[in-house]
Amino acid sequence: MNESDLIRDLDKEFGACAQEKRKRRVWVSVELNELIDVCRFCYGKGFRHLSTISATDYPSEGMYELTYFLWSYEDKLLVTVKTTISRDKPVIDSVTSIWGESAQIHERELHELFGVKFEGNKDLTPLFLEEWDGPPPFRRDFNWRDYVREKYYDKENEREKPYYL
Amino acid sequence: MTGKAKKLRRLIKSIWVFNWFNSCGFTELVPVVGSRWDMERFGMVVTGTPRHADVLFIAGYQTHKSIRRAKIIFEQMAEPKVVIGLGACSMTGGMYWDSYNTIKRLEDYLPVNMYVPGCPPRPEAVFEACEKIFQHVLEMKDE
Repeated sequence: MNESDLIRDLDKEFGACAQEKRKRRVWVSVELNELIDVCRFCYGKGFRHLSTISATDYPSEGMYELTYFLWSYEDKLLVTVKTTISRDKPVIDSVTSIWGESAQIHERELHELFGVKFEGNKDLTPLFLEEWDGPPPFRRDFNWRDYVREKYYDKENEREKPYYL
Repeated sequence: MTGKAKKLRRLIKSIWVFNWFNSCGFTELVPVVGSRWDMERFGMVVTGTPRHADVLFIAGYQTHKSIRRAKIIFEQMAEPKVVIGLGACSMTGGMYWDSYNTIKRLEDYLPVNMYVPGCPPRPEAVFEACEKIFQHVLEMKDE
């Protein structure tokens, strides 16, 4: 299987959604409700390795873009599956039913850093931020410097004045 | 520092150290363990368990997650015990002063006996800190 075979198969199954970005790199943009079907389809095509899941924050458009990177060991192809979800209510179905443990840890991290809720993932406890009380820290509108100033420092303290410059 | 002067004087003949290092902390302190600056000539030995340790070296920034483990380690150490914070990160947060998940002052969480400034502290500075503690113990009066 090469790029054009995969794009043809995806287009036949899900409509025109795939494009060849460059050699051995295929981008697939899907709607939220199609995501699990596309992922399962790709898994059946030999994409057994989920490299990572990443989220990109677009505050002005009010959405997160979730990107799934899939790798096929047989065909040496990297497929990038993209979908968008609402920023205010970030809920999405988990892909742990397809990739199992390797998806679980990526989803757990995104839940911690972006607040995305993955329905079907059994363990979404924070990895690093124990006893965290602020908003998800990787959101663009989270001003960590203001948060730190408020939480850790005292403006009246002579030694800590430089932190407020 | 707590404990009887006589007991402490016996203790400083051989100090057993437990290292709790985050991030770059350990790589910066390796020279102290290595042959050039060799801490064993002062009787300082790195132990594998906090229950045998007299001194707790803490270096590098501590996150909220790791400081909880550091507290458990501190509680396991037998009295008398000493905590030495190494480097700028344990004093003020260092270059991570505006990080949302690191602690800024170690003394808010553990009773620190001495800070060794520097980023990283030189091995000589670490030995000077230990020497100051030895001197302090030697000058303590018997009750």
